[in-house]
Amino acid sequence: MPIIPLHPRSLAPASAASDSNPLPPLLRTPSGLALLELQGDIRFPPAAAQSSTQVGKLVFPLYNPDLNAEDDTKWMKRVYFYVGKNQRMAGEVKRLGKPFAVIRKRETPNVEDVVMGDGEAVNAGEELEIVEIVKYKILFAMRPEPVGGGVEETV
Amino acid sequence: MATQQGEGGVPFAVAHELQNFRLLELPPEIVELLEAPNPPPFQIRQVQTSNSVFVTQPAFDAHGNDIPTSTTCAIASCTATLELHPADTPAVAYIEAVLPVYDIVGGEVDAIQNDTSKGGVFADVPLSSGQCEQGWAEVVAFELSGSSYRPSVNTLRQVWSSINAAALAEGIRLDSQFLGYDLAEMVQEEGFPAPLALAIFSHLASAGQDTSGQWSCLDRRKTVSFVGKTLLQAKRGSSGHLVADFVEEWKDSLPEAWRGDAALKSIEGTYDTPTSTTIVAKGISASRATEAAVPKAAAVKGKWHERFAKTRK
Repeated sequence: MPIIPLHPRSLAPASAASDSNPLPPLLRTPSGLALLELQGDIRFPPAAAQSSTQVGKLVFPLYNPDLNAEDDTKWMKRVYFYVGKNQRMAGEVKRLGKPFAVIRKRETPNVEDVVMGDGEAVNAGEELEIVEIVKYKILFAMRPEPVGGGVEETV
Repeated sequence: MATQQGEGGVPFAVAHELQNFRLLELPPEIVELLEAPNPPPFQIRQVQTSNSVFVTQPAFDAHGNDIPTSTTCAIASCTATLELHPADTPAVAYIEAVLPVYDIVGGEVDAIQNDTSKGGVFADVPLSSGQCEQGWAEVVAFELSGSSYRPSVNTLRQVWSSINAAALAEGIRLDSQFLGYDLAEMVQEEGFPAPLALAIFSHLASAGQDTSGQWSCLDRRKTVSFVGKTLLQAKRGSSGHLVADFVEEWKDSLPEAWRGDAALKSIEGTYDTPTSTTIVAKGISASRATEAAVPKAAAVKGKWHERFAKTRK
């Protein structure tokens, strides 16, 4: 069997990413990676000037760290995802029965060394690494519902 | 809700250049299994999802002329997830499925070349090298002229007979050290592949015997049992054969000194006795077991399609 090494997650803490993570702490991971699942797909017109397009907002209406205790998980039952101005999806935060390992191709370490070296090709083959282990996901299992977009205009 | 959309919401963006991530589902058992001294292999099954699954990352983005804000940005979209399942199919079943059978009928070789080396065969089997080796040895597989084969029971019977005859002619005691290469060459002169003879030596080697060198040494008990099973399985017809005749043939197929070892108890569990005086091989061959397993999977598939069809009505 061809063998592809799978490296475990590096334990380097990424506190900076955690501080600027706008999601509730439960959904924060050391790398900042989180999962969001929705029925269907997000389509938007390409905007070349940006590296990303803001398509909407996530709202956790029941989440209030000032009022709720830390172990209070009722807020997980309700998440809204406003897409564009007129669509809203209702969803929830779900604890995964089986956590997901987020895997990606490992960037060859010391790439610079290889390039700067005397042309000795280092072809170690493909390697994978676990970037993060995610235990929760935001799930929108229902189709979007139309909402009025008047308030958004005034912001 | 509309006000919250403006105030408390977390902006959600989608990156234009999505990265490649895979999501691997981790069963709870895997942690303890990974900690086990001899972790079992897992099969990976890719499961397509009709939903969009985004991997998101916090970003600090300014969209348009807005002041930069903390945003959640989708950096990858996964259309499939990977599930882990303990690999419970024995290695021998995989090896049998991928190797062509080497049969000899009336002195003519009947085999389809697969032009694949042992290493090439192993590359297609989703098991560890150690397990592949184990399955390879179990089916007495061998390489010949760039192809790999597993012998039919009938072939094993003929090659064993040739080995036994050559050993007798040369005065070789098979349960003490002998030059396996030399004996294999004699077998080859009879028209059988030398690598198959060597594979049989290795299959029947005494425990702890290094089978990689030119020396061989067979385990007497293992060999007696192997010869008995091979003879019985090579017999066609399910009506049964006279036990007395079978045992006599078995004795004749063993080195003279081992004749007394041919007793049914050494092949226990591999035969049925339709009557008190007849014997027939049990359907123990793993190849039959695999054949049985395949239609089972197909049946499940069929049911799924039936169910699917029902929902469409």
